[in-house]
Amino acid sequence: MGLFSYNIEKYSPKQLVIIPTVLLAISLVVLAFVTISIGMPVKPGIDFSGGTAVTVITSDTSAQIQNEFAGYPLVSISEGLNNGKFITFGTMSDAQYQSLTALIASKYPDAQVNQIGESFGKTLQDQALIAMILAFIGMAIVVFVSFRTFVPSCAVVLSAFADIVMTAAMMNIVGIQLSLGTTAALLMLIGYSVDSDILLTTRVLKRQGKLNDKLAGAFHTGIIMTSTTLAAVTVLLIVSWIGQVEVVEEISAVLLMGLIFDILNTWLTNVGILKWYVLKGGGK
Amino acid sequence: MKQERIKYLFKDWRVLTLIILLALSVVAIYPHFDDNGNLTTNLQYGLDLQQGAWLQLEFKAEVVGYTTTQPVDTFVANLSKDLNTDVVQVDSTHLEIRKSYTQAELEPYFESEGGTLVSYQPGISKDTADLVKQILEEKINSMGTKDAKVNTLTGMNNVARYVRVEMAGVDMNEAQQIVGKQGKFEIRIQTTGNETEHVLYGDTITSVAIPTKDTSGNWGVGFTLSDAGAETFRDAAIQYGATTDPAHHQLAMLLDNKTVYSAPLSSNLASSLQTETTRNMVASTGTGTYGQQQATNLEIQLRAGALPVDVSVAGSGSTSASLGSHYMTMCMIAFILALIMVGFVIFYRYREPRIVLPMVLINASEIVILLGFISAIKFQMDLPTIAGLVAVVGTGIDQLVVITDEILHEGIVPSPNVYLKRLSRALTIIVIAAATVLIAMLPLALMDLSTLKGFAIITMMGVIVGVIVTRPAYGKIIMEILSE
Repeated sequence: MGLFSYNIEKYSPKQLVIIPTVLLAISLVVLAFVTISIGMPVKPGIDFSGGTAVTVITSDTSAQIQNEFAGYPLVSISEGLNNGKFITFGTMSDAQYQSLTALIASKYPDAQVNQIGESFGKTLQDQALIAMILAFIGMAIVVFVSFRTFVPSCAVVLSAFADIVMTAAMMNIVGIQLSLGTTAALLMLIGYSVDSDILLTTRVLKRQGKLNDKLAGAFHTGIIMTSTTLAAVTVLLIVSWIGQVEVVEEISAVLLMGLIFDILNTWLTNVGILKWYVLKGGGK
Repeated sequence: MKQERIKYLFKDWRVLTLIILLALSVVAIYPHFDDNGNLTTNLQYGLDLQQGAWLQLEFKAEVVGYTTTQPVDTFVANLSKDLNTDVVQVDSTHLEIRKSYTQAELEPYFESEGGTLVSYQPGISKDTADLVKQILEEKINSMGTKDAKVNTLTGMNNVARYVRVEMAGVDMNEAQQIVGKQGKFEIRIQTTGNETEHVLYGDTITSVAIPTKDTSGNWGVGFTLSDAGAETFRDAAIQYGATTDPAHHQLAMLLDNKTVYSAPLSSNLASSLQTETTRNMVASTGTGTYGQQQATNLEIQLRAGALPVDVSVAGSGSTSASLGSHYMTMCMIAFILALIMVGFVIFYRYREPRIVLPMVLINASEIVILLGFISAIKFQMDLPTIAGLVAVVGTGIDQLVVITDEILHEGIVPSPNVYLKRLSRALTIIVIAAATVLIAMLPLALMDLSTLKGFAIITMMGVIVGVIVTRPAYGKIIMEILSE
């Protein structure tokens, strides 16, 4: 494939892992910083913190909308193409919520409204966290059982871990909140990001031949694998961005970032560790 | 490809399974023209893709584990009095308390009645949850709302904390009214022949007990009237002669003007009413399973649509018709474009229609089978599910790339022996990768994270279909094509 040439054999294991190591460190610092300031590694959206989200297609400006809802705990208004507006409110009393829905129904009858109570949000958040931890542990077990060698298995799990951490840090930087949708995307990343790592490890450990040939072959296949998914997810992101489908836009943005970090972590982190392991005399 | 090769291909079990599944899926999806000549399918859509509203209600009650040195009946009765609410025994070690209390608030009550509280879980028992579901469904159906779904979310410990009501075609206000509305309950008394006279409305009923069985095996539902209600009841019973001739002056109960229960006063009650008012009454429904069933039904009617436990709104939402159809259009566009885009990437890589075409077709067939499955289980597709399906398109083709590259190693088409070895090696990679996705999605599928449960099940299903059916079939097909 001629899009970009990447010569794995040129670099030593140390050179390979240096960039991802630095990125991982920065990401961890970002997550730690966010955790200290708001108590969670990624800013929670209304699904988890409670509140109300309103999606509406209107030619009213943000200032007009702000004026309209002055009496309510307005948190943010984000604008998209084609006059799409995504308005979020903090938690409010039942009475206030009912007056808000009445106002929305009269002013913007075509709006989509979603409201999550604070305690329900907390329940969802706890469950999402448990799901995430269990998913990661489960994935690690499958990897260890499949390869039954310590260092290569660790390399795969570490790459997946780095994917999630870097993606989560990036979510903070570009301002994507943690919601049910983005949680689903992160879980999907846990499952899918190890695809190319498994291909790489299997090729290197279970095939005959020179190490550099095997690495190059794995890269050749692996990069096309990731780029097909990348293509599908990019289309999804563009269409949902133009069409103002907020949920899908967030999911696909998270998947896209995750896949890009996956390329990095598979072909730098994982390859680096695996190369070091084989050169040191591990494997066949 | 030569004709006998194609024939041979169709006899292969892997290819056959794929074809049969595809056919079944098309039947399940059932694309057809409706009465207006529009193309429709059996696919159902969630409330973010069509007009509708949902409400998630949280039960103001808790299930607690307990031990006591007292006789259980006395203990439960005393506790019920202390806490001023219904206390129901779930099983020998658990009680359901139908009012919101914290664990710390409950502990002293348990202690003073000679028991200890050993566990605390907000929510209601599975039986009560089923009753709630039944009440809500009955109420929504009586309003003539179609396409309503009521789901109690029961955790692994059999305690339900939430109930979710989804109604298509209504807006938020209507939904709140339907769920909050109570029926009109009325008690009448037979005067002469088929004539009846009004006695009381449901607002004089202060509480309704759960069905119980008396010593002779008769089922019944107890209920309590307010003081004024009891007075009115006694006056009416005497006035119309129900106390002296119960058999000809039956008591009738009506919900929304429909008779739901009719029986004479018991002789005990008839004679006691002649001298004093009675607030507590029991409506008997007969013996055996039938009697029990009737008692449960009557309990629901007596409550007139009110739930046995208080609820609070934990979450709600609604989508308008225009936004729903806008989302739907966008999803379709995204889906088709994604498939085309993936096709382009694959073509760029292999530049060989003989490889690219089967790949894209197999990929598309995976989606058709998944949609068939979604139709068959009547799953409501929502936005996260569609994003998941697009990801299945992307990753599904990944696996086909692994197979193709593994087989075409070093650009040489191998002999059948080597071929099978390589195919099985490719399938090993795929199976491991599939296992990681399955295990990553499993917690989500088992939990009740509202809408994400369905998403996880669909993703897992996509992986399973891919590993078991479409990818082995692709291996077979591509082998035939390459060995030309």
